[in-house]
Amino acid sequence: MPKVVSVHSYRGGTGKSNFTANLATTVAAQGHRVAVFDTDVPSPGIHNLFCLEPEQISATLNNYLWDEKPITDAAYDVGANVGLAADQLYLVPSSVRADDIARILKDGYDVKRMNDGFRGLVKALNLDYLFIDTHPGLSKETFLSIAISHVLVLILRPDKQDYQGTAVTVDVARQLKVRNMLLAINKVYSSLNREALQQKVEETYSVPVAGVFPLSEDVVQLASEGVFCTKFPDHPVSQEFRQVAQQIMEV
Amino acid sequence: MSDMQSLASSITAVTSPFRHYLHELHERYQALNDGAVADYIPELTLAKPEWFGICVVTKAGQVFEIGDCDQLFTIQSISKAFVYGLALEDHGRDYVNSKVSVEPTGEAFNAIVLDEKTNRPYNPMVNAGAIATTDLVKGANSTERLKRMLAMFKRYTGRDHDINVPIFLSEKATGFRNRAMAYLMLNFGMVSDRVDETLDLYFQQCSIMVTAKDLAMLSATLANGGVNPVTGERALDERYVQDVISVMLTCGMYDGSGEWAYRVGMPAKSGVGGGITAVAPNTLGVGTFSPLLDAKGNSARGIKVCEALSHDFGLHLFNVAQPAHDLAECIAGNDADNW
Repeated sequence: MPKVVSVHSYRGGTGKSNFTANLATTVAAQGHRVAVFDTDVPSPGIHNLFCLEPEQISATLNNYLWDEKPITDAAYDVGANVGLAADQLYLVPSSVRADDIARILKDGYDVKRMNDGFRGLVKALNLDYLFIDTHPGLSKETFLSIAISHVLVLILRPDKQDYQGTAVTVDVARQLKVRNMLLAINKVYSSLNREALQQKVEETYSVPVAGVFPLSEDVVQLASEGVFCTKFPDHPVSQEFRQVAQQIMEV
Repeated sequence: MSDMQSLASSITAVTSPFRHYLHELHERYQALNDGAVADYIPELTLAKPEWFGICVVTKAGQVFEIGDCDQLFTIQSISKAFVYGLALEDHGRDYVNSKVSVEPTGEAFNAIVLDEKTNRPYNPMVNAGAIATTDLVKGANSTERLKRMLAMFKRYTGRDHDINVPIFLSEKATGFRNRAMAYLMLNFGMVSDRVDETLDLYFQQCSIMVTAKDLAMLSATLANGGVNPVTGERALDERYVQDVISVMLTCGMYDGSGEWAYRVGMPAKSGVGGGITAVAPNTLGVGTFSPLLDAKGNSARGIKVCEALSHDFGLHLFNVAQPAHDLAECIAGNDADNW
């Protein structure tokens, strides 16, 4: 049965898109058929990591949500851009056109249609994994992606605002009867004791921590131009991604 | 329900396998193009044959909408069941029964026929009986009576309703047969002498604009003992819910009522606007809208949807067999568990 993985955080800038791209690529590299949905319609961006240029994009998730295009028209094979074979990794990007973003913010969209789009693509492409990159914070769309996920990956930084927001999100996820939840702590500065941090976070939320990621200049230097774990497969950060991906696959 | 719970409930409705099931029904019967749009007045012919909406509202207030559930159309005869409820509240069961019987006619909805012994119209779901129950709606003048009727529909659906004026005027201009029936009943003393006012009110109630979702709210309110399951407001005195549902079962589907009770077994009322409202008591309400009508004046796609729901979930009133699917399980499930 296909598995849906949502990557979410309460606040912005935690590294959602970076995590989604790396985890999806790692899972696809193990021979699974994977698609990534960029449901961050107000501020899309993950297409940059997969090196999909706006001029290569004709149909987007927006066109599907407006009933202008079938969902399959908005799915792009991005495997070759991250060193994978064809027909292995797909991306459904959201539009970066200002008019399109304004329209979706102004009119909203039918959250049922989003759900039908997920299901439709899973069927059409015979997918094993569907990764959902989300908009930060809580919204109807977040609720939907949490409700349909088999695994919810919540990212937080060692920061009071993140701690508080994550508590709210964990509470909501439990009310929505989420099946599995994993936490990932990102941007941990080197002076912090990683084991102690992990233990404290797990105790606070009663949710397992799947990975602890350092504040990494190497990641920043890539500046979203590519998927880190394919560019630097032996880097400790890539190893940590593989560990999180493994836990997702074992759930 | 807290806001958090209500938002969570709206999301679980999206991910419920029941919505998925309804989606498949909608796809299957959208392809059905049998029947014809009503054409006895020109305004009704404007309805598009492809329009098709299915809405189900559960007793717990969960709303499932598929297809054209926001499209407005005229309620037509469906109003009859609910105005009957209002007449019962206004006068009590005995008095209303003395004016309108509850026997199926076996005749068409517009038959000019009264009970030979008592002079009563046969039942409140045919035109003659509906005119008689409309006559019973209390109010000092036509405006007040109309306002009371619209307020009643609002209690059921949770929103304000308008009247389609061109349809009302057309119904009024061509309703000679209904006028004849009203005067025949006046002749026998079965209706009061404010005949023209009552006929206007009758034509107005048929011209109330509703959606498939409104129809589901109407029947869900009956299913929930007269209380709207979303707003919590009481729309009909609990004592009369059973009266309304009973006549819907025996007389609600025009002269197709017997076969409907046999095959579907969900008390229902249809209208030539293309709507059907169907009740599964204590469980849910169904509202369907598709303007293609069969020879008996019932929505062809709507009938198929109700048949399927009744069969697949055992919603027939007299069903004792194990249905193909467990409704509660299907509604509470998550379709992510079944890709």
